[in-house]
Amino acid sequence: MFKKLRLTSKIENALMLTFTLIFLIFISISPDMNLESLKGVLIIGITVGIIYGLVAVGISLIYTGLDVVNFSHGEFFMLGAFTGLTVYNFLIDGEIIYKIFPEAYGWVGYVIGLFLAFVTMGLFGILIERIFLRPLTKKGGGYTVAGMGIIICGFGLSVILQNVAYVIWDPTAHPFHADLGLPITLGGVTLPMTYLWMLVTGFIVAGALYFFLNKTKMGLGVRAVAYSKVVSNLVGINVPLYISIIFGIACALAGIAGTLVGPTYQVVIYMGYIILLKAFAAAVVGGFGSLPGAIIGGFTVGLFETACAFFISGSHKDAYAFLLMIVVLLIKPTGFFGVQVKMKA
Amino acid sequence: MLKINNLVSGYGSVQILNGSNMEVKNQSIVALLGGNGTGKSTILKACSGIIRAWKGTISFDGEEIQNLAPHKIVEKGLVQVTQGKDVFPAMTVLENLRLGGFVLKSNIDLKNNLEKVFNYFPRLNERKNQLAATLSGGELQMLCIGRGLMSNPKMIMLDEPSAALAPQIVMDIFKNINKIRKDGLTVLVVEQNVRMALLLADYGYVIKDGAINVEGDSKKLMYDESVKDSYLGGGGTTANV
Repeated sequence: MFKKLRLTSKIENALMLTFTLIFLIFISISPDMNLESLKGVLIIGITVGIIYGLVAVGISLIYTGLDVVNFSHGEFFMLGAFTGLTVYNFLIDGEIIYKIFPEAYGWVGYVIGLFLAFVTMGLFGILIERIFLRPLTKKGGGYTVAGMGIIICGFGLSVILQNVAYVIWDPTAHPFHADLGLPITLGGVTLPMTYLWMLVTGFIVAGALYFFLNKTKMGLGVRAVAYSKVVSNLVGINVPLYISIIFGIACALAGIAGTLVGPTYQVVIYMGYIILLKAFAAAVVGGFGSLPGAIIGGFTVGLFETACAFFISGSHKDAYAFLLMIVVLLIKPTGFFGVQVKMKA
Repeated sequence: MLKINNLVSGYGSVQILNGSNMEVKNQSIVALLGGNGTGKSTILKACSGIIRAWKGTISFDGEEIQNLAPHKIVEKGLVQVTQGKDVFPAMTVLENLRLGGFVLKSNIDLKNNLEKVFNYFPRLNERKNQLAATLSGGELQMLCIGRGLMSNPKMIMLDEPSAALAPQIVMDIFKNINKIRKDGLTVLVVEQNVRMALLLADYGYVIKDGAINVEGDSKKLMYDESVKDSYLGGGGTTANV
């Protein structure tokens, strides 16, 4: 009665394995190769990977919920970073936090920044969905002409949101001086605290998302709506509300990812563009529409990119993610966890 | 319990129903019969709010429901049970049943209803931790009916519960539908398997071209020559009792 959901073929797996081996041999003959650098690449790769994963999960969630690819997702990442930065600066400049927590004002302010970026972006996402996407979703889902409209609307929204950020925060790069303490040494690798925050918070958020989707009633509803809106209607789920919730969660994830990345680089209104493409690559590598796939895809892209940047050449860092995406698409078009056909009721 | 008055509806700009009238009495089983493409499923979809009524009214329990959102209709106690293929294949049987009870507010209700469903279909209890995709056709249909019963409905509407199933399993499912009615529920069953449906039901409606053509007591309909010849593929084995 059901078509085979997952496409697995021995040839594809063998090709993937061959590609991985070639890649490993290639980096192992690099003159920079030693245990220390390998450890560093692993930790940095996983750290960057969890960020790509969080953004990619959002893209996949929106894809399963609304049946469209959200091309404005990077801007929620950018706005999240600005929200976190503004909240942090407000708390630190006003010395509100400093008076209450003189010892740990830096990370208390940062945690509040992360939390507010998460909540604000979630609510903002719901607002955007209600105002801009709802009229189009009503005219038909992603498989109709209206779906094309939503995709174009996503591009337009991206430009509009960038310009809104331009007006509020001007186009210069803002440094995010989060005072989180001295770098720590982890297994022989010295790691700035910002990376540790990314790593730990990223895993906590991913774990919380897993718990939410699999153990709570609302998560069950989200999964049901993602699979079939008609059947969800028939079991009594308020489908329009759940579509808003899906969009809100996806934007909240992008927002918190933005604040996590902020202190490591800098906060600038153009930062959403490259993360969108990287997260897109991660989602495709993991299998479009699969949530565990998006996280695994994030790790894969993060590790591959970091390894190539370190062992081959750092000046083409942004190209490696897409090289990996193209290779995976050629060998295994469904990605690691993708389904061959998205079945609809 | 359910009263459909002069219902006109369709998909997009294509009109399917041309003024159908039906009534389902409390605690009865009513069969809605007809060939392919006559509008049987469209009536069900209009009742459960998936498509809108263009004209006419649908009242359930004395209230008009044709303008309500689908989840509000489920909350009122009118549940549509689709064919077995409409489960959530990537979820376990238990999760599918939990989704059926999505409108329930308390966990105690959920637990009681789960027990009730496992009582009707012990097979589901054995397989509760399996993915729904691994179930057989008959088990899927049981799961769909069970999911419909999870929300404490007053009335369920079954869309072809016998589709693509072996006669033995169809008998089993129909026995359970009868049991469900005896426990106080009202049942509307849409069927192509005319003989089975009329054996089960108290009253029958035959739909043709989007309007009710013949109606009557199911015993009477079973031997009605005009029904047999005109609408049910006369001379076929299904209509011969």
